[in-house]
Amino acid sequence: MSADITITAETPRAPTLGRPIVRPQEPAVVAQTSPKVVIKDVRFYYKGYEALKGINLALQDKRVTAFIGPSGCGKSTLLRVLNRIYELYPGQRATGEVLVDGRNILDSGQDLNLLRAKIGMVFQKPTPFPMSIYDNIAFGIRLYERLSASELDERVEHALRRAALWDEVKDKLRQSGLSLSGGQQQRLCIARAVAVKPEILLLDEPASALDPISTQRVEELIAELKSDYCIAIVTHNMQQAARSSDYTAFMYLGELVEFGDTEAIFTHPREKRTEDYITGRFG
Amino acid sequence: MMGAAALYYRRRAVNGVYLTLSIAATLIGLLVLFLILWTLTANGLAALSTKLFTEMTPPPGARGGLANAIYGSVVMTAVATLVGTPIGVLTGTYLAEFGAGSRVAPVVRFVNDILLSAPSIIIGLFVYELLVVPMGKFSAWAGSAALAIIVIPVVVRTTEDMLRLVPGSLREAAIALGTPQWKVIVMVIYRAAVQGMLTGVMLAVARIAGETAPLLFTALNNQFWSVNMGAPMANLPVVIFQFALSPYADWQTLAWGGALLITVTILLLNILARFLASWSNRTP
Amino acid sequence: MASTLTVASPRRTDRQHLQDALFRGATRAFAIGVLVLLGGIVLSLVVGATAAFGTFGWGFLTSVAWNPVKDDFGALPAIYGTLVTSLIAMLIGIPLAIGIAVFLTELCPPPLRRPIGTLIELLAAIPSIIYGIWGLFVLAPFLQLHVQPFLIDTLGEVPVIGPLFDGPPLGLGILTAGIILGVMVLPFIAAVTRDVFLTVPSMLRESAYGVGATTSEVISRIVLPYTRAGVIGAIMLGLGRALGETMAVTFVIGNAHHIRVSLLAPGTTISATLANEFSEAVGRLYPSSLFALGAILFVITFVVLAAAKLLLLRLEKQGTR
Repeated sequence: MSADITITAETPRAPTLGRPIVRPQEPAVVAQTSPKVVIKDVRFYYKGYEALKGINLALQDKRVTAFIGPSGCGKSTLLRVLNRIYELYPGQRATGEVLVDGRNILDSGQDLNLLRAKIGMVFQKPTPFPMSIYDNIAFGIRLYERLSASELDERVEHALRRAALWDEVKDKLRQSGLSLSGGQQQRLCIARAVAVKPEILLLDEPASALDPISTQRVEELIAELKSDYCIAIVTHNMQQAARSSDYTAFMYLGELVEFGDTEAIFTHPREKRTEDYITGRFG
Repeated sequence: MMGAAALYYRRRAVNGVYLTLSIAATLIGLLVLFLILWTLTANGLAALSTKLFTEMTPPPGARGGLANAIYGSVVMTAVATLVGTPIGVLTGTYLAEFGAGSRVAPVVRFVNDILLSAPSIIIGLFVYELLVVPMGKFSAWAGSAALAIIVIPVVVRTTEDMLRLVPGSLREAAIALGTPQWKVIVMVIYRAAVQGMLTGVMLAVARIAGETAPLLFTALNNQFWSVNMGAPMANLPVVIFQFALSPYADWQTLAWGGALLITVTILLLNILARFLASWSNRTP
Repeated sequence: MASTLTVASPRRTDRQHLQDALFRGATRAFAIGVLVLLGGIVLSLVVGATAAFGTFGWGFLTSVAWNPVKDDFGALPAIYGTLVTSLIAMLIGIPLAIGIAVFLTELCPPPLRRPIGTLIELLAAIPSIIYGIWGLFVLAPFLQLHVQPFLIDTLGEVPVIGPLFDGPPLGLGILTAGIILGVMVLPFIAAVTRDVFLTVPSMLRESAYGVGATTSEVISRIVLPYTRAGVIGAIMLGLGRALGETMAVTFVIGNAHHIRVSLLAPGTTISATLANEFSEAVGRLYPSSLFALGAILFVITFVVLAAAKLLLLRLEKQGTR
């Protein structure tokens, strides 16, 4: 019934590997940045298995940091340490320090709800809540703010505009979030994360379940959101990392192999393993 | 060569016998269902009239209706469902959402399964000891309590199963927004599972609508119209039991009418529940 | 500037933690309530049965007396009736149920699978009182007129088993109750067995067909051995129901507190005795003896259901492996 065009699985995808890497032009004036998140010797244990083996790294504010590496290298796990969502599962444990604005969020005193409200997360598969489009966005806002109806309307519209979804859904805000196409659902989830005004955005392979056109929109959105947030993105798509990030971290078997400026990583990797991976020799 | 052929024919013959028996078993099952429904309809339709819904259960040998029994059944079923559902939902929530790693949860799950198929007459004995003896009389409250105890395990089971079907990613997405856990469950998880949970409640209603044994010594029966929950109350199953075993033709006719009424209600509830379940499966 | 991670109003976060704790506590309390419920049931049975067991001791289990006037009670006839009717029910129900499960999983044309499965499940939804009234007015007269005379004339003349089919064709009795119970447990066993059959990996099934096995061979050599624990669990579930079933039996068993060799004779079961006599039982020993019967029934069904549950659990673990 809906008029959106959904690209089906049959649509041939452009081959991604082997295409020349095109990076958008950097803005001439780069805003002053500072480390927003400092990760110090983070280790992660699950059922006696060490999934992260002492990670050290800093995430810059108003910059995109991409995490790449083969499946099981720990890149998603690291993301899940940053908002401590792993604590949902008994038996998972992280040690070390994660300083956000100088404060260690791995401290037992850290309020988890508050932490997660300040750190938005978007998942691999779209996760719209089983409620209307409007309520999907308003849900998070209502948790921490008391707003009048008109203020709330404004915030919802603002969030949807930021996620470049407003024009597509403004006439059907009362419809279920599940009625949207996959790409729209993912942008809805980004809007929902942005609506609560987080300071950090964690994107866990946000485009891996999407068709190429939706992927492009999500990437444009990331570039757009960068001016306001500290963004960490996990991706297994090297072109995506190259296109949309400022810094890239290559992880392998729970270790951080190489971390640096995205351009440097992709053009002059210092490590052999990094080079092998980005040239597609393994992984 | 002959031996192999003979073996083959023997195998084929055995197979044929197996398959015939299997088809026969299915036909017998369906035949019984058909026979029961046919007898019910044939005998029940004779009793069906507006009087059935407007007049009280009659004294022996007189004509009348089942109004008080229908009212009693509806009220006690409703009270039992209203009491049993929240208890069942919260327990099922504990098992699905907080049970991981707890030592209590597996025990509760096991005990709940025992309750699910425990003889209902024993529930009647329990409620008799728990409520009827201290109150000094049979009452609709006691009847409702017995039925509620039957509702609880059914709802616990379906709630747990349905909550487990909700993808973990939805839970994580809600948590990642900084949502307190109770809001995650009440506002997101329940919403995602609501159709399945409703199905469970409807199956529970269908189960207690025809329950007789636990009412025999809790709600008892009442020949007259009564809305007093503290007193014995008429109800369809017990009236059917009493009237069907009586020697009076009028009472037996009413029993058939009541039986038809109950069966149609229960089958409709079941079909509706199935419909709801398949509908909820289609929208993930 | 202090981190925003701590700035939001402490009252709000405190309230959230309190609400979370309350919600979690409430669900846990009700979960424990379910345990308490079972405990209460056991306790009420024990308390109710104390007088009877105190007076008659273990002899209660083996006594055939049932005399409210003399206050002399024994459980054996009711236990015997419960076990024998359930045994008959199983003899009828198991083959039929497995036949239906085989039909639904192996033979039935796919478009008919769901409708027929649903019809069989609806058979399980019909309340027991309906089976009772149907058994009383339809099945019992039919058995009395057409089946029992035939049984008496044929099987009744056979040496060893003859006494089982002796006496007048009354219609009501142990055999009729067993048949009704068999029909009642049939859909339960059939539905669970079908689900268990469906857990057989289709690769296994297909490779057996692939080497030329017939359907019957696939079922008896592959499907049944693979699902043995589950099928036994399904049967035990059905048995648990048959043992505790009340209304259907009460209508057709004849309610007589004695043990007769003949299956055509009336008898009683624990649940039928409770249903018939409890609300009229007066005095101290009479109700207590009924409670004692209830306690015995509970122990029997608990053992059977627990065994069924454990078998099915084992199958579940096997399935995930």
